Amino acid sequence: MNTKLDLYKVHKAEYVTARQPALVHTKPAQYLAIEGRGAPGNARFQACIGALYGMAFTIKMTHKFAGKQDYAVCKLEGQYFGDLAGAAKEDWKWKLMIRTPDFIGEKEKAAAVATLLKRNKSPEFKEVRLETIEEGDCVQMLHVGPYDKEHETIEVMRRFAEGKGLRLAGPHHEIYLSDPRRVPAERLKTILRQPVGRGKAEG
Amino acid sequence: MNGRTRATTLRFYKEQLLRVLVHIQQHLDEPLALEELARLGCLSPYHFHRVFSGMTGETLAGHIRRLRLERAASRLKLGRAPVVEIAFEAGYETQESFTRAFHAAFGAAPGQFRRRQGVSAVIKAASGVHYGGRKEPKNFRAAQLKGKPMNVIVKHIKPMRVAFMRHVGPYNEVGRTWERLMMLLGKEGLLGGASQCLGLCHDDPAVTPPDKIRYDACVTVDEKFRAAGEIGTQVIAGGEYAVLTHFGPYEKLGGSYTKLLGQWLPRSGRRLRATPCFEVYLNAPESTAPGDLITDIHAPLEPN
Repeated sequence: MNTKLDLYKVHKAEYVTARQPALVHTKPAQYLAIEGRGAPGNARFQACIGALYGMAFTIKMTHKFAGKQDYAVCKLEGQYFGDLAGAAKEDWKWKLMIRTPDFIGEKEKAAAVATLLKRNKSPEFKEVRLETIEEGDCVQMLHVGPYDKEHETIEVMRRFAEGKGLRLAGPHHEIYLSDPRRVPAERLKTILRQPVGRGKAEG
Repeated sequence: MNGRTRATTLRFYKEQLLRVLVHIQQHLDEPLALEELARLGCLSPYHFHRVFSGMTGETLAGHIRRLRLERAASRLKLGRAPVVEIAFEAGYETQESFTRAFHAAFGAAPGQFRRRQGVSAVIKAASGVHYGGRKEPKNFRAAQLKGKPMNVIVKHIKPMRVAFMRHVGPYNEVGRTWERLMMLLGKEGLLGGASQCLGLCHDDPAVTPPDKIRYDACVTVDEKFRAAGEIGTQVIAGGEYAVLTHFGPYEKLGGSYTKLLGQWLPRSGRRLRATPCFEVYLNAPESTAPGDLITDIHAPLEPN
């Protein structure tokens, strides 16, 4: 039997994160992704999470059933666009993502869409795309606590970047390590990642 | 719910348990079957052992073993029967194994113990229950709540239709059943969205031999799902459940069950329903460190 592929273990250097900021080089990575707008946690956000996991599991299990390489479905990640501090949460634009191995392509995705269509699930899964994201050099730090205190951690990351002559270039990326349904807000663990560029001021 | 109801249920559970404790004391020479003890205590065999160990702080087998040793100690002190006979009476097949167990409990070999004067024939126990001949055990104390306060929520749950595969064997091997169930359902597009993963536990691992434990790996499905091949369907009973969230590895779930059924329940003002407990797994073990796993334990309650 094949051993199970775990992308987070293969790319350990991109995921092991401490509570101090650090520079990390990330390689291009493929994701299943779906975009939306509105306050995180709202109905659309939840429907997108359900659709994303539906696609991820359908693709993975079909692959496994065919006797091909088994792999772990990675954790939920999200990218947020624009001026987060300046805009109301209701106007936030985001992309929810699950990292997916490179051997999964459009063919596998199309087969999963066909399977899910038969199941008559809510329509969001049709919006799920496969895309490769390249972030390159990033500042990364582990945030422990409620999501609405992330700005404090981002501030530490900003100062760290500036100290190295870099600026936070965005988009803001986060990797959800904890389950907000049960883990108390003050213990939620989230990896925050900010791609960086040369130069001082942002935007 | 008021304090009086809580006090009443604690008394109810203590009285039920006391009947069981009396029966054990009076039948120390007989095999004590769990089903019979559960019946005596008016408790479902599903839950009896956990209520027992949660309330007394000992497993049923540990309790019986301790009382047999205490009885042996009192016979050594008060009578003249040969050690080998007392060993046999205490349920030991050889005098050596009896001597070993006795020494571990009383700090002296049976012969030495007999020659000493004024030594106690009781072994320390949190429940305060000791061998007392045919008299009713006195001073029974229900185990106190220890550690952090338990966050238990009583939830009303609608009946849930599930697709399932049965696993018979040790709990630590249920992973294989899960892998297969997830693969067969996943390739049909039945995972993700609102589907939940549940485990239905028909047996208590402290009582049932590992190779006979029955466990159903379940995934919630809608009415359209049809059972086929290795996968069956069943409906998990609706109604009220006491829910305790367990944080950490699955191997430690047993301790949370004991706390919920043996410590929370007797003080809750509620009684258990005779249907199995079930677990809801909130995260996937393949991508979660064991310490970060989250499981909601559900214990069925009688209507209030």
